[in-house]
Amino acid sequence: MGTLDYIWMGILSVFQGPELFSILGLPVSVTLVMIFAGFLIGIAVGATPGLAGPIAMAIALPILISVFGYTPDALLPVLGFLIGVMKGATIGGAVPAILFNTPGTPDAFMTTLDGYPMTQRGKAKKALRVAHFSSASGDTFSDIVLFVCAPFLALLVEAYLDLPEKTALLILSLSFIATVIGGSPAKGLISTGLGLLAVFIGTGEDFYPRLSMDSQTLSRGFPISTAILGVLIIGAVLKELQDLWFQKRTSGTVPRQRDEGDQRLHWADIRRLLPFIGRSAVIGTVIGALPGIGSTLAATLGYTVGRSRYAKLKRPDAPDFGKGAAEGIAATEAANSSVSGANLIPVLSLGIPGNAAAVFLILAAESIGGFNPGPSVFRFTADEVNPELVVAFGLFTAMMIANLLNWTIGGVFMRSMGVMVRIPKHILLPSVLLLTLTAIYVQETRMEAIWFTLGFGVLGYLMRTLNISPLPFVIAFILGSKLEDSARQAFAATGGDPWFLFTHPIAAAFMAASVGIILYSARRKTPTL
Amino acid sequence: MPAPSKNNLYLGLFTLSFALILLTVWIPMDTQTGLIEKVRRQVTIGDALAPTVAGLFLIVGGLLLILTERNAPGQSTSSMSGLIFASAAIFIIAASLIVMRWTGPLAVWMVNALQGGDLEYRLLRDNAPWKYLGFLLGGTMMISGLVGLVEGQLRLRAILIAVAAVIAMIFVYDVPFDDLLLPPNGDV
Repeated sequence: MGTLDYIWMGILSVFQGPELFSILGLPVSVTLVMIFAGFLIGIAVGATPGLAGPIAMAIALPILISVFGYTPDALLPVLGFLIGVMKGATIGGAVPAILFNTPGTPDAFMTTLDGYPMTQRGKAKKALRVAHFSSASGDTFSDIVLFVCAPFLALLVEAYLDLPEKTALLILSLSFIATVIGGSPAKGLISTGLGLLAVFIGTGEDFYPRLSMDSQTLSRGFPISTAILGVLIIGAVLKELQDLWFQKRTSGTVPRQRDEGDQRLHWADIRRLLPFIGRSAVIGTVIGALPGIGSTLAATLGYTVGRSRYAKLKRPDAPDFGKGAAEGIAATEAANSSVSGANLIPVLSLGIPGNAAAVFLILAAESIGGFNPGPSVFRFTADEVNPELVVAFGLFTAMMIANLLNWTIGGVFMRSMGVMVRIPKHILLPSVLLLTLTAIYVQETRMEAIWFTLGFGVLGYLMRTLNISPLPFVIAFILGSKLEDSARQAFAATGGDPWFLFTHPIAAAFMAASVGIILYSARRKTPTL
Repeated sequence: MPAPSKNNLYLGLFTLSFALILLTVWIPMDTQTGLIEKVRRQVTIGDALAPTVAGLFLIVGGLLLILTERNAPGQSTSSMSGLIFASAAIFIIAASLIVMRWTGPLAVWMVNALQGGDLEYRLLRDNAPWKYLGFLLGGTMMISGLVGLVEGQLRLRAILIAVAAVIAMIFVYDVPFDDLLLPPNGDV
């Protein structure tokens, strides 16, 4: 089996999987249909303020697992659906940002700055076209980088990193994620510590489940879905409801804007936008490849870099950034969209999730089994087929199909989604809350799981109230067991050397970097005293 | 210029206190093996080490918060009204879950009491309409209660929307599948 054989098998696994129906005698595989469905649902969800891709993933996962079961055949349809949602939600978020000055997803906030002024000038459709073109370009670029870099990085990891180095790399990732997410290193470390503590409750190697306080309820530990959905979804719903309650805003009629003049995107427009898209796509891809740094930062950086270039080149009669410049939309959307593909680089090459969508991909893979994202996936075994590698190339194929959908029907579907913004948030959010709790229950079938989820939801709410990012908590919860297993194995493999993290040069360098990044972040914060 | 919020300082002190209790009381008393164990002349990592690392993250985070970020700008401003809202919302959700859990068994008990039968909810939990009673009532209470909390009043419109949403969820999670159980039917 050569590399090309694996790539070809991955492509075939998507197109020749279980057949759902046929068109003119051509079989249509269930994976293709799931990517398509996920993509459309993702756009609708992204276009709905208050919803986001992870919410749709959380609600859909138990249904998908129930439909497809826990077999290796379920992996590509389920992961394909989630990838579709991830990509659809990215472009969908621009719709309410442009039409109604309400970002559908947090990273679309910068899109409102120029998108809504364009709508006010009667250029809504053109703004949507610019957003779609930029988003699809950035997304495709970062996917190509992913396809090239993830296997390469994974091979490097497998070749040069042994158990002590892998343990140190996990510690470095946690330190990095803790200090860069949310803008407060101290709060990031607290969030990480809480996530690690939560995953260690009720687990361990001894007969007595540690930290379970002799309680039968805690002795089995917390199911991963209760922690992730509780902190990420329920916490967000409670905080959003509280904000709505504070605002007490009346749902007044949304002012309607009429489209005026030429709404098409011409080749001249594209040529003008491409430099902005290119720069933002590179920025978004680099940021996305670092675990934990979200698309919001990418959008902000892309916008800032675009603004300084625009200030030098702009025509005197052209609107400024923030006053309805199409280049502003292009810079933002290309940056935030190019994060999504690159975010899967640490997932597939290291097994480290970098954002909420990647967390759900890992959750799905863990629930179904048969695919453990990490460096071992990219073992190009010649004598026998490595099924995980076939799945990995199947995922790449699914991403390319989603990109193709994005370029073809994505724009049309996106422009028809303006109606979603009219669903009142304060009615939508309680329904999302019940949907999430129901999704947990159908997976776990015990009320304890719902109470756990509610408890984690309260924790997530408190974290948001105290400006603590919940993402380090979730990533630490996912990586905690892996860190402990890796440390146990490394300790045993080094003959019980308690200094195994410091006696191997690469591991020691990772540990020094972990301490260094925390100290650097702390120093950087000192002037705020 | 207003005095900076002390929330980071309080949060740092609370985190440090919690981490110290974790490291000195909870972990030593609630794990059976120490940081490092010697089993049959072989040294292994004990169950206490991993939570100790979690505690160290909390200690470092708490210390940094107190030493470098206690006067950081943009700190959260907690308010009593926020606390009241959160308590009310959690009360509504918890009460709805209790209603969800007990409506079905209570309905069976009432039918038995009125008609003298010996039905058991456990045996009916996969049969309509029994299996929907708790989810429908508890779910409606949860959605309409939260909508009412935000709107400041409970209106018929909110209840009707909640009923429609719960029915839609039944069609999503239950009707197409034989092997999925709606809450609370896996417990009873």
